[in-house]
Amino acid sequence: MTRNNEHSASETVRTNNAPANMGTKASSKFTVVLRSIWRRGEGKFALIVLALWLAVSLLSLVWTPKSLWATDGYHVWAKPSAAHWLGTDGTGADVFSWLMAGARTNLFIAVLAVVFAGALGILLMSAMVSRSSALSNVSVVAVDALISIPTVLIALILAVPMGASVVVIIIACGIGYGLNLARIARPQALLAANSDYVASALSYGASGFSVIWHHILPNAMPTIMVQLSLSAGTAVLAESGLTYLGVGVPSGVPSWGHSLATSVKFINVYPLTVLWPGLIVTIVVVALNVFGDVLRDVIDPVTNPELREV
Amino acid sequence: MPTNSGAYGENDATDKKTTGTAGNETAADNTRSTGANGDAANANGADTAANLGTEANNTASTDETLNAHVKGGSSGNGGKPGNKKKGWIWAVVAVVVVVALIVAFVVVRSNQKASNTAAEGHKADSVTVGLKLAPTNLDIRNQSGSSLDQLLVGNVYEGLVARDSENKVVPGLAKSWEKSANGTSYTFHLNKGMTFSNGDKLDADDVAWSINELMTKHYHDSESLMNFKSVTATDADTVKLDLTAPYDNLLWVLACRPGLVFDKDANYDMKTQAVGSGPYTVAKFVPDDSITLKANPRYWGAHKAKTATIVLRYFADDNAAVNALKSGDVQVLAPVTENLAAPFVKDSAHYRVAAGDDTDKYVLAMNSKGAKTSDVRVRQAIRYAIDHKQLIASRGGADKPLGGPIPSLDPGYEDLTGLYPHNVAKAKALMKEAGYTPDHPLELRLTYANTYGTELGDQLRSQLKPIGIDLKVDVVEFSTWLQDVLKNKDYDLSLVDHNESHDFSQWVNDEYYYNYSNQKVKDYYNQAMAASSDSQRDALLAKAARVVSEDAPADWLFNYRITTAMKTGVSGFPLNLNQTLLPLYNVTYRTSVK
Repeated sequence: MTRNNEHSASETVRTNNAPANMGTKASSKFTVVLRSIWRRGEGKFALIVLALWLAVSLLSLVWTPKSLWATDGYHVWAKPSAAHWLGTDGTGADVFSWLMAGARTNLFIAVLAVVFAGALGILLMSAMVSRSSALSNVSVVAVDALISIPTVLIALILAVPMGASVVVIIIACGIGYGLNLARIARPQALLAANSDYVASALSYGASGFSVIWHHILPNAMPTIMVQLSLSAGTAVLAESGLTYLGVGVPSGVPSWGHSLATSVKFINVYPLTVLWPGLIVTIVVVALNVFGDVLRDVIDPVTNPELREV
Repeated sequence: MPTNSGAYGENDATDKKTTGTAGNETAADNTRSTGANGDAANANGADTAANLGTEANNTASTDETLNAHVKGGSSGNGGKPGNKKKGWIWAVVAVVVVVALIVAFVVVRSNQKASNTAAEGHKADSVTVGLKLAPTNLDIRNQSGSSLDQLLVGNVYEGLVARDSENKVVPGLAKSWEKSANGTSYTFHLNKGMTFSNGDKLDADDVAWSINELMTKHYHDSESLMNFKSVTATDADTVKLDLTAPYDNLLWVLACRPGLVFDKDANYDMKTQAVGSGPYTVAKFVPDDSITLKANPRYWGAHKAKTATIVLRYFADDNAAVNALKSGDVQVLAPVTENLAAPFVKDSAHYRVAAGDDTDKYVLAMNSKGAKTSDVRVRQAIRYAIDHKQLIASRGGADKPLGGPIPSLDPGYEDLTGLYPHNVAKAKALMKEAGYTPDHPLELRLTYANTYGTELGDQLRSQLKPIGIDLKVDVVEFSTWLQDVLKNKDYDLSLVDHNESHDFSQWVNDEYYYNYSNQKVKDYYNQAMAASSDSQRDALLAKAARVVSEDAPADWLFNYRITTAMKTGVSGFPLNLNQTLLPLYNVTYRTSVK
């Protein structure tokens, strides 16, 4: 059992890291983290769900059981059957196919929102621990002030010039979660910034950028990773919420929020159609949150002794 | 736009905002009443509460015992049984209080219910009607929106003439009228002994004053009273209205807002109050939430109110509305989305669901001057490609197919669905002729307001795909539609529900967003408006409508019919046209004897 796991894990690592040209140390660290996650029950659940999500997203690009645009007005709101595994929606289109195609939109949104949030968060975090007291003070106050604006409000404001669009969700989530990230990662970064090794690096003439890259970022990374994985879950929720409000995914683009928004009106009459997208969103968000929790435990050498051995 | 009274757009911009708070309150109400309704639920609730109470007290007494025990070590055992007894008494007291509270709550609730719906087998004193679009104020002379017509015309205010459920003109305050031979002069003979709800007499002076005020102050809809010259009261019971040129639509227009008669001597705030001559008076007005109508004790006419109190409640949220009918908070719901009404259709022992005709036309306008849609072959191909029967089936099946601009309740109706029958092969051929195939599709943009849901856009996209049209659907805010489509005419395809009656004039208006212009249509229309008889007018309008439909400046997806759901025992509720014309005098609610 263990051998098999190791085998598959190392394979994943090879394929994942081959183009990144990382050192063997980094790749073995990754293996250890992945293996540690897999070894926990909830971590296994999270990994399986996330892998399925990725697989379905890719599959939906080339195949869905029914075409998304095969509407049939004579068979709307149909119950699950052999022809339509999860029934049909209000236009007579196949719910299962729409949910499959929705997976890729949600994955796209979650990944981009996280990338954007990560970039913004790291940038702000760096500013907040900057040696220039003017920059750090201003950025701390700015982040504290901006963090009070709800993500939904940002999205609604963005939707005025841009209309309903995937970009609105990504930017709104990116800003909201980026600010959060900077705020949460700051203590870790500050601890590193005030450490002796940073002082000595600086005395050797290291640039501010180099200190951030080589010393501060690696120290804050566990916190950042955990926060980003939680953000990915929130981004999936935000997509559903914003699409329901009409400022998220535009009409015609498959997404779980779209499937929820179009069926929720009829929850009294056709509760099953609301159940499927709701269930998927719940499972994926739980998986992402669990993943974040497990990651927090296994990514830190203090709590994960295995990591100290590599 | 300014010259056209027929745009849905203009009408309902203000109607749509029923506040979120109202919805929340409703939800809260529902929960409450559901709790009170289900006896079993209550009994359980009471039990649980009682149990909880006992448990809580037991825990407390255990603690006390423990405390006593600890203390007992120093002060002796005497206190222990006494404390236990006390705890037991407290537990009983708590249970009694909780049970009493619940019983009181249930009794109060059921009393309220009883007063609402009266005893079984009796006619209820009060009927509550659930509607959708709420008026923001009561000023029917200035405030646009069909919800005001629905609420006030025929109920609180009365017109010189009225219209019946078939949209035909019938006597109102005037019992009869004559038209001069050249069609430019009308003489109205009023009923005798008419009064307003404040006791003032209603005579020819009030009629003339009301119409003169309308025209001089340009109140809402005054522009639809075309060719107006003068109106005078020749004696107390006779009014003479002169036109500059014949206008066949005059009587129908007078049955709507322009014909309403107000008390020239009364002084009241029209935004919150109403003094009219109708069978009801406005007793209470809560903006965006509810309106209470009470029977007018001074009512003069034949439409005497059969139910003393009618409450109109407005639900912006369809599910909240359905829940209100389920819980008995309302006895009638109009309109209800057909698919949502399914549970009521099934439960025919307690509910009745019926559809009525209306003049709502779901118009898929195709910009006649648009870069891509100016090609008539493209427009015709779209009309051939759309499977109207399927669209209607997916909505529940009550709506009617419509092949042209005039619905069955308007003059000049003719079944034109045969002009462009569903024919994908023909549509493909036309598109090919125009230079497009499924491999080399034409990209078109459909813009419509989010109030209509995303389904129609998705269905049209899928129906137009096989003929070589790549339809991009923009579901936008209503205000965006008004700006982009109605005002700037910047669109390929647009979808809107034109709900007004007698609105054919939009097809002879070059400035309207259709960008449609055809001299032949204008000639027919002008002849129709000057026609000497109704049958001649109808024939001319039918001819004009046929030409419009042939030119394919739009496709008429369907003629929407209103679905109304009500409790069995409700009678006299109008089904036709009830979103613009809702005479309530005949409504009664009789609970059946078990």
